Amino acid sequence: MTLTVAEFADRVEGYRREGVDALQLGHIRHIDNLSRRLPNDWSGMDSRSNGQDDFASLRYQLAYAAFALAVAHRYRLPAAPGVFKGTFDRLIQKMLLPEVWMYWRDTSSGNAVFNAHLPMESEWDPVRRDNIMYSAYVQVMSLLYAYLFEDDRYARPGALSFEHWSFSWGGEGHRFEYDQDSLNELIYWKMIESGFIGVACEPNCVFQICNQIPLLGFRLHDLLTGGRRAEEVERGYRKAWDDFGRVDAQGRYNLLVLEDSKQLLTNDASEVWGDAWAGTVLNMLNRDLVRERYPEQIRALLIGGPDDTLTIRPLSPTSLFGHSLFEDHGDFGWAAAWAAEVGDSATRDRLLRYADARLAPTWSDGGLFYPRHDASTDADGFHRLVDPLTGNALLAFARLDIPDGLWGLYHLPIEPELRRSPALVEVDPDVAVTRAFIGEEGELSATVSATGRGSGRARIGRLPRNGWVLERGGRIVARSSESTPDVLDPAVGVDGPELIVQPRTAEEGYVLHVQ
Amino acid sequence: MSSDDTIGFALTDHFGRRVTETSFPGRHSVVFFGFTHCRTVCPRALDRLDAALDLLGEDAAAFQPLYITVDPERDDAARMRAYLDDRPRVLGLTGSPEDLEAARRAFHAFARRKPDPHEPDGYAVPHTALLFVLDDAGRRVAHLGDAATADELADVLRGVVR
Repeated sequence: MTLTVAEFADRVEGYRREGVDALQLGHIRHIDNLSRRLPNDWSGMDSRSNGQDDFASLRYQLAYAAFALAVAHRYRLPAAPGVFKGTFDRLIQKMLLPEVWMYWRDTSSGNAVFNAHLPMESEWDPVRRDNIMYSAYVQVMSLLYAYLFEDDRYARPGALSFEHWSFSWGGEGHRFEYDQDSLNELIYWKMIESGFIGVACEPNCVFQICNQIPLLGFRLHDLLTGGRRAEEVERGYRKAWDDFGRVDAQGRYNLLVLEDSKQLLTNDASEVWGDAWAGTVLNMLNRDLVRERYPEQIRALLIGGPDDTLTIRPLSPTSLFGHSLFEDHGDFGWAAAWAAEVGDSATRDRLLRYADARLAPTWSDGGLFYPRHDASTDADGFHRLVDPLTGNALLAFARLDIPDGLWGLYHLPIEPELRRSPALVEVDPDVAVTRAFIGEEGELSATVSATGRGSGRARIGRLPRNGWVLERGGRIVARSSESTPDVLDPAVGVDGPELIVQPRTAEEGYVLHVQ
Repeated sequence: MSSDDTIGFALTDHFGRRVTETSFPGRHSVVFFGFTHCRTVCPRALDRLDAALDLLGEDAAAFQPLYITVDPERDDAARMRAYLDDRPRVLGLTGSPEDLEAARRAFHAFARRKPDPHEPDGYAVPHTALLFVLDDAGRRVAHLGDAATADELADVLRGVVR
């Protein structure tokens, strides 16, 4: 069933009024906690494989944590950019750390299963050649940041720089300078060079999944600059993959095409991640196909768990060429994210109930996550493995997304009036915001509480010039006409053109009426 | 490739003359890729370009259309001259496989020979359908996808010369 932008906008309105519940808030807080870790403190984020080789590696955790924040902000707390902006920025800064991208120096040198026959040299620059599995996420994260928060810091020359120097080795080091525009430009031309089939991840391997991501980047760049590249690339990309085939004979998404031979590689029937990850991100651009394939695909991949839950089959260790392969793919997390994105709330909820019952949900510093666990099964023989992509980002995304949330990031521009309306523009980390939306009269409605010692503050910005009235629990606590603001409550202050509120421990509903 | 990049190429036109990015002083080049056995994309692109240049009237003289082949095996100068005989504004460009490959790389253009039993000689050459506008120093000043209409192309070309 086709979805129109107007229908989706109506859907969004309902979620905006709901805000977030305690679990959703916990996920947002956990992502914030991760973002505040000191540089190269990746505790709780390390995956089983070496050298950022697998699909749960740092770049994916950071990127899908950012996606979780994006959908939470757009659809659940639209008038609270201050809850998300700093966190989002810190995730991007982490994405630029060498520990996240230095794998490319080795991966680019080839000698892997699908490229050992091709001559290639090691490359330091992590975005210039191939590696769309990293470059596209940097592109999208920086453009999402610019678009969501109207901040051009990543448009400045060199703002996206990949720099490495060591005292111990490597001579003069390396520095590669890009920004959100030059990186977008680079990927655009690489897409064209490829005939729109896409840019390789590992050399010679063009994944269908990873090449969805830059399309969102082009769309965001178009929204920021008035261009039309997304339309052009999407059309070419769709045609190229239609020619190769998006699905295999079993109706599952093809994983990748080999660049040199144009051989298609299909999905491994025993693994969930291929269809689930592809289905989640493909919904952005090819919603009808995803809706058509989803029921049969997910039926084949999920099994019943205890107490009317759903889960996946336990994952078996893989052996290749005599080596045991310890790689994580985010299978469980992708299943939940997929169900959330296609709007199968019943399946998503049953998966999340399984996670909450059997995957050790953990609260720390106000954040909710599911710690890594390497054993495949629990004592009852059910799936027990938690990879850090699932535990840190994907279950968060599943809980925060709304039906077609990624589709909406692509298709529904932010309303200009929302950008002009009052908003919580800065929020201290020990303030919880559970609702923040703009009502029919243009008023800001926000529910806030203090989570720590009670000293945290939230700043309300973009105040209307013609006057406003701020109420807390129905009582006027501050107001302004054309004269000086009149503050009637010690928990409220004025700072230049903005208001500061200091929430108490109990949740308080603030409404800022526009006059 | 950024908007101020110079794109260099050295090829041969369908009269056998050497052509580079600086061969047309005072005029802009309108460059696109194709092959003479192309059944849909190239004829459509050529029709659109003709229509856009017609819309420009006298301003059309400010542009030199260049049609670079992606099929050097079949598209020699004689073949291109014959193919473009009824489109006198367009110059076909060909060259050695190496020179054509270098030109494609300079434009970031895609082309790959693909077996196709339904095509003459058993192959086709799917290719980039972008159209590039260069100034007389070879700097790219605009490019358009093949979804653009003749009117939109004409608007872009007008914008370039004003």
